Amino acid sequence: MAALIEARDLTKKYGAHVALDRANLKIEAGRIVGLIGPNGAGKTSALRAILGLTTYQGQLTVLGREPFRDRTQLMNECCFIADVAVLPSWLRVDHAIDFVAGIHPRFRRDRATALLAKTQISGKRRMRELSKGMKTQVHLALTMAIDAKLLVLDEPTLGLDILARRAFYDALVNDYMDETRTILITTHQVEEVENLLTDIVFIDKGRIVLDTSLEDVATRFTAVSVTPDRVDAARAEKPFYERHILGRVVLYFENADPGKLQAFGEIHTPSVSDLFVAKLSGGAA
Amino acid sequence: MNNGTWLIRREFWENRAIWMIPAVFGGLLLIAALFGQVSIPRLTTVEESHEAAGGFLVIVGGLFYLVMAVYSTWYLMDCLYTDRRDRSILFWKSLPIADSTTVLSKLLVGMVIIPLVYFAAADATALIAAFILSIRARASIGSSLWNGEVWLQVQVLWMYVIFTTALWYLPIAGWLMLVSAWAKRAVMLWVVLPPLLVCIILERVIFGTQMATHVIMRRLTGLPSVSFNGGSKHMWTHDGGVVDNAGASSMTVWRLINPSGFFTSAETWIGIAVGVVLIIAAIQLRMRRSEI
Repeated sequence: MAALIEARDLTKKYGAHVALDRANLKIEAGRIVGLIGPNGAGKTSALRAILGLTTYQGQLTVLGREPFRDRTQLMNECCFIADVAVLPSWLRVDHAIDFVAGIHPRFRRDRATALLAKTQISGKRRMRELSKGMKTQVHLALTMAIDAKLLVLDEPTLGLDILARRAFYDALVNDYMDETRTILITTHQVEEVENLLTDIVFIDKGRIVLDTSLEDVATRFTAVSVTPDRVDAARAEKPFYERHILGRVVLYFENADPGKLQAFGEIHTPSVSDLFVAKLSGGAA
Repeated sequence: MNNGTWLIRREFWENRAIWMIPAVFGGLLLIAALFGQVSIPRLTTVEESHEAAGGFLVIVGGLFYLVMAVYSTWYLMDCLYTDRRDRSILFWKSLPIADSTTVLSKLLVGMVIIPLVYFAAADATALIAAFILSIRARASIGSSLWNGEVWLQVQVLWMYVIFTTALWYLPIAGWLMLVSAWAKRAVMLWVVLPPLLVCIILERVIFGTQMATHVIMRRLTGLPSVSFNGGSKHMWTHDGGVVDNAGASSMTVWRLINPSGFFTSAETWIGIAVGVVLIIAAIQLRMRRSEI
């Protein structure tokens, strides 16, 4: 089966500013992929291109379609939440359900109403009367009632408190995800999503710096916590990043032999956030 | 229901002013009819009665038409801008609706549906006001301000006015929507400024001509002379014409309106062509510009 999303030399320029610089990306079906990068790295530009919201240069197919040209058809099989705060303030909850039910061929009204019944939100309320957390619940109910092959979330929890954020991701994993779906999430808060992802894509300065599954992270990357006296010996193995913590040095290696590294100190698989910092700072050094 | 119907419902949910303004305006007119000074001269002949009934309907309709023109202009200026400003466009674009459908639904609302709502409100107001005034002025008026035959003619007149207005002002609507889809802020300024600069700086100062000024002024005020018969430039004198002839013939509205003149005028078709180009440009911008 062809990849669900495939980008080759994807480039997006805003005047002189290059937001995406020949980015290559391949996302298979059934994965939960985190597109992770610092602010201004090109995450949002990549998503806008994938969702057909903007023109681009290079090749890009999503669900076998060209997103910008075929946005309307693409949205039959793909849905997105680009920041939860975008439901129009004047829209009533029941009207929102009516509207999406009327427009979207894959929307299941019973599912949306069941999801909303769990909350305290009345159908007659307008979005501007709801708290940010409630708006999130409405938007999620609308989105999760759509039988989509691809769900794209752009900084979905921006501005939410920790309770609402947790509820958002729990609902996503427990009520929505199954093997027929693919989820692409962008965020700059790595800690929040790292234990629900199956794949990670790091983006920096418009380029993809890492695209790997989490299973591969364990075999590919090793971190070694080394005492200062052994640092020089360990450095000979060419770490791509080092970090000094409380008198110890953590060295990060890619494609190194763990058996060899064990000699220098305690080894472990780096967390996504550590890897993110290591990869991005290391690349810059 | 298809997507277009849902999009039109959506516009009514968002813009409650579409029906609230005409409702309030009609209410104010009714209050004026109830408590205002009534000074209707005594009508003795059938012609006089027709004249008063027709004149009354046209005045009420004309007032609604003016309010409608202001509101529709504002609506078209705002319709592709608000959801970009509050970013709700990202919600609308997550649904399988073509941008062309969205833009055309808003054009239809601005140019046809809003006028129809105002037209219905004008009818209802005129009906009730005529009733109120006829009772209040019964002593002097001598007959009802209400006349079914004249009323039917005025209905035809309004349908014709709505239809020709929509086509004649298509380039204006296209311009408003284009700016609405394009501007990052100050839509009204961008609507007015470029034509003003072309007219004043480019033409008057540099070329010393007034061609663009003439074209724009002609587009803004030229509709009555194209869509109605007669040499006079003012629509209201034509409308007066209906009333004057109302007694003489039941088909006078057909003499007043000039559809063949309207549709054979090059100005009409040039305007439609320019409007279509501007609307296509607005659709293209809508596809590309998601956020401010």
